[in-house]
Amino acid sequence: MGEVAHPVRIVSPFRARTIVLARRFRGVATQVLHNRSAVLGLGILIFFFVLAVAAPWIAPYGPLEPVTDAAPLSHASPSHPFGVNLLGRDIYSQVIWGSQVSLIVGVMSAFVAIVIGTGVGLISGFVGGWLDEVIMRFNDVVLSIPFLVLMIVVAARIGNLDLWGIIFVIGFTGWSVTARVVRGQVLSLKERMFVERGRMIGSSNAHIVIRHILPNAFPVVFANGILTIAISILSESVLAFLNLSVRNNVSWGRVIAEAVRNDAITNGMPEWMIAPGLCLVVLVFGFYLFGYALDEILNPRLRRR
Amino acid sequence: MRDLSVEFGTRGGAVHAVSGASFDLREGEAIGLAGESGCGKTTTALALMRLLPSNGRIVGGSIRFAGRDLVRASEATMRRVRWKSISIIFQGAMNSLNPVRRIGGQIAEPIILHEGSTKTEAMKRAGQLLEFCGISRERVNDYPHEFSGGMRQRVMIAMALACNPSLVIADEPVTALDVMIQAQILELLERLRRELGLSMILISHDLSVLAETCERVAIMYAGKIVETGPVDEVFSDPKHPYTQGLVGAFPDIRSQRVMPEAIPGDVPSLISPPAGCVFHPRCKFAFDRCTKAEPALAEIASGRRAACFIYPQVPEVSERTSPLPAR
Amino acid sequence: MPGSADLAIIPRDPKYQGFRQYQIAQFGLDKTPLEQFVIYLQKLFTLDWGVSYFYKKPVIGILAVDLSWTLLLVGTATIFTVLIGMAIGAYAAVRRGKPFDYLSTGFAIFFYGMPIFWLGLMLQTAFKRRSPFAAWFSWWPQLPVQGYYNNDLIPWQWDWTHVSDAGFHLILPAATLALGTLAGISLVMRSSLIDVMTEDFVTTAKAKGLSEAAVLRRHILPNGLPPMVSLIALDVAFILGGAYQVEYVFNYKGIGYRTIEAIGNLDFPLLQFIIVIGGAAVVIANLISDFVLLLLDPRIKIT
Repeated sequence: MGEVAHPVRIVSPFRARTIVLARRFRGVATQVLHNRSAVLGLGILIFFFVLAVAAPWIAPYGPLEPVTDAAPLSHASPSHPFGVNLLGRDIYSQVIWGSQVSLIVGVMSAFVAIVIGTGVGLISGFVGGWLDEVIMRFNDVVLSIPFLVLMIVVAARIGNLDLWGIIFVIGFTGWSVTARVVRGQVLSLKERMFVERGRMIGSSNAHIVIRHILPNAFPVVFANGILTIAISILSESVLAFLNLSVRNNVSWGRVIAEAVRNDAITNGMPEWMIAPGLCLVVLVFGFYLFGYALDEILNPRLRRR
Repeated sequence: MRDLSVEFGTRGGAVHAVSGASFDLREGEAIGLAGESGCGKTTTALALMRLLPSNGRIVGGSIRFAGRDLVRASEATMRRVRWKSISIIFQGAMNSLNPVRRIGGQIAEPIILHEGSTKTEAMKRAGQLLEFCGISRERVNDYPHEFSGGMRQRVMIAMALACNPSLVIADEPVTALDVMIQAQILELLERLRRELGLSMILISHDLSVLAETCERVAIMYAGKIVETGPVDEVFSDPKHPYTQGLVGAFPDIRSQRVMPEAIPGDVPSLISPPAGCVFHPRCKFAFDRCTKAEPALAEIASGRRAACFIYPQVPEVSERTSPLPAR
Repeated sequence: MPGSADLAIIPRDPKYQGFRQYQIAQFGLDKTPLEQFVIYLQKLFTLDWGVSYFYKKPVIGILAVDLSWTLLLVGTATIFTVLIGMAIGAYAAVRRGKPFDYLSTGFAIFFYGMPIFWLGLMLQTAFKRRSPFAAWFSWWPQLPVQGYYNNDLIPWQWDWTHVSDAGFHLILPAATLALGTLAGISLVMRSSLIDVMTEDFVTTAKAKGLSEAAVLRRHILPNGLPPMVSLIALDVAFILGGAYQVEYVFNYKGIGYRTIEAIGNLDFPLLQFIIVIGGAAVVIANLISDFVLLLLDPRIKIT
């Protein structure tokens, strides 16, 4: 049995870890790129992201700016691709600006939900015992109350919400699923050998959590996070539709709400509602495609067949 | 079975799981199929019953059974052949039994299907079969999770015998069990074979199991059968270098304490196998011809076949339906 | 938790200030939070649910009627969803990798992410009287886009004309809700069945010579259903949320509609108990599903 001697370079642990991470990331990225639905989803996401960022430059009008060259409630025309709404604003611009709000709120509130959920899940799963039981029962109760109902009522309770308010409302009502998923992952990881070994060499609990469990749970959290963002965007649209969201901020839900309030249907102007709704649908579709594909790739259990 | 070749279509390319494998089985005989994990044994078994998963295809060869070629038979014909003439016992009976149905029903199912019995008759027969395999008849209405591993394997065996097949394939029947139970199950299989006159193909990576139960043995490597012969002879005097390595890896309890010799290298990729003899990269006897041509399984002594150019009688494989030369 | 909504529930509008003192005394808000909570629980279980601010009628009366309407909607929709969704999921799983699978899964993901209220609006647009489609195809159905509005009628007191009329009005809202939840169910069913199909006992079943249909019926489905049942139960919360949206869009006077209204009127007693109902519904659904699971899966026993 001969062994070939490779020249060995000594690198710092930090650099070593970075190299391993980069390699792993590349592996995942290649798989993602080979997966047609992931690519499609990612494409959609990039499209909307660019749209949101470039809104100030792309949109011909501001979101609440009254137009001067067309009458209110006019249909699509070259200068107003989606028509003009009852208050004399360009719907096309509203849709473009709307992407900003929807994305910002969606991502930020999902972030809140993920942070809370991961924290709770980590603690609950790792510490176990009665704390775990209590947290899980509480989680069950929160999950029991229909999410939308809870969100609607909480939003209504608090009244006039600003951007951060909405973000926190959605975030605070949406952490339960993430917590459960993370907890499951932690539980299965806890049984694995390297945790035992970590303990044997005397690592502190915190060390084990941060260094071992978190990195391994990260893929699941990330995939789940994408789906959480999708749900957050949907939630925001529902809230906006019910006029519970931020005033003066034109999100897609709000556009649709206005349309309904002004009887767009009977006034024969359904396109008022179609465009923003379609954007919502496609964006969420993109998130789901990407999220599911990612979940399949990152979750070894699902990858079986 | 002659020149059987099976491929699996994967994203990385076609996996040549089995290439040109051939062996004969006489009635009432037990032949062992040995080899490392992943060498194509289970695939051969599945192919015999045309049970390959959706991405698997038989791409060549023939399987002659009771005067019919199973490779070319229609699916409808196969459904009649399955279980009635050939049945199979899988490894790890935990997952091979439907967890939400009672075992009696599961054993009776093929009886009702193939022989048109009524439910009561079939259930009675199921009870008999269970007794035959060493399980109390009253347990016929229990669920699989109420049995231990060894007993579940007995249930599987009972189920395999349900329609009085002429051939039983046992795929790693004892691998997942501990040694004491292993012995019991093997004994059961032996007894059944004798009393019922079954033919059996026993698949295992554990040579000792095969040595105990089979009359002949076929050694598989990387999808090819490299040696066949009576089991005692093959194990005491292996002809193919791979078999020699396999047998040599078993420490002999009686001889001196010597470190068993491992075969160097790794199993080759089945997507792009090496050119020439598939074993040559790891073979200590390899010479020039081995890298260029592939040895066919040929008779080198009475009743012994091997696929190795060491033996001058062994010809090259003339036509190929599968592997491409290594890139 | 509902208890906390009990505090500071007076509308913020200044003109209510004078009313405030009366209300405080009336609703016992001057007692300590703990006392209030106890009283609340007491009232909850004795079904003395207080009086709605807006309607000046007992909450329980209002909610009971609404609940029956909502149940009608959700019930009808759920039946269709479950039957059709499971069928699609099963077919896609069996024909995995074939065009039907890709198509149905694609559609499912598409509709899964669709806000239900938008779907409702689109259906309204498509099916209203004098809709553009009606102009093109003479056979295009024109369906009522509002829920049945005679809300003094309680479901079990109807006669035939009412039933058929209500049914007619129910088509669009139920269809919306059904479509919206169909997607999720078919996706879950499909993945659950695929998981089962990779198990060994399915190969064994095929080895026995069973036809594909028999394998599906006797081995795959019985094993694929239990996880489905628990997931559907979890989904009840989601279905309720969808029902709320559908009711709002179609002016269907069920619990969802009442909730939105109550929010607008800051009618907190009503809201409190709506949350309770929502929670109770999910709990009950979970209990039922646990029970069903007990029947389906012999491995589960009551501990």
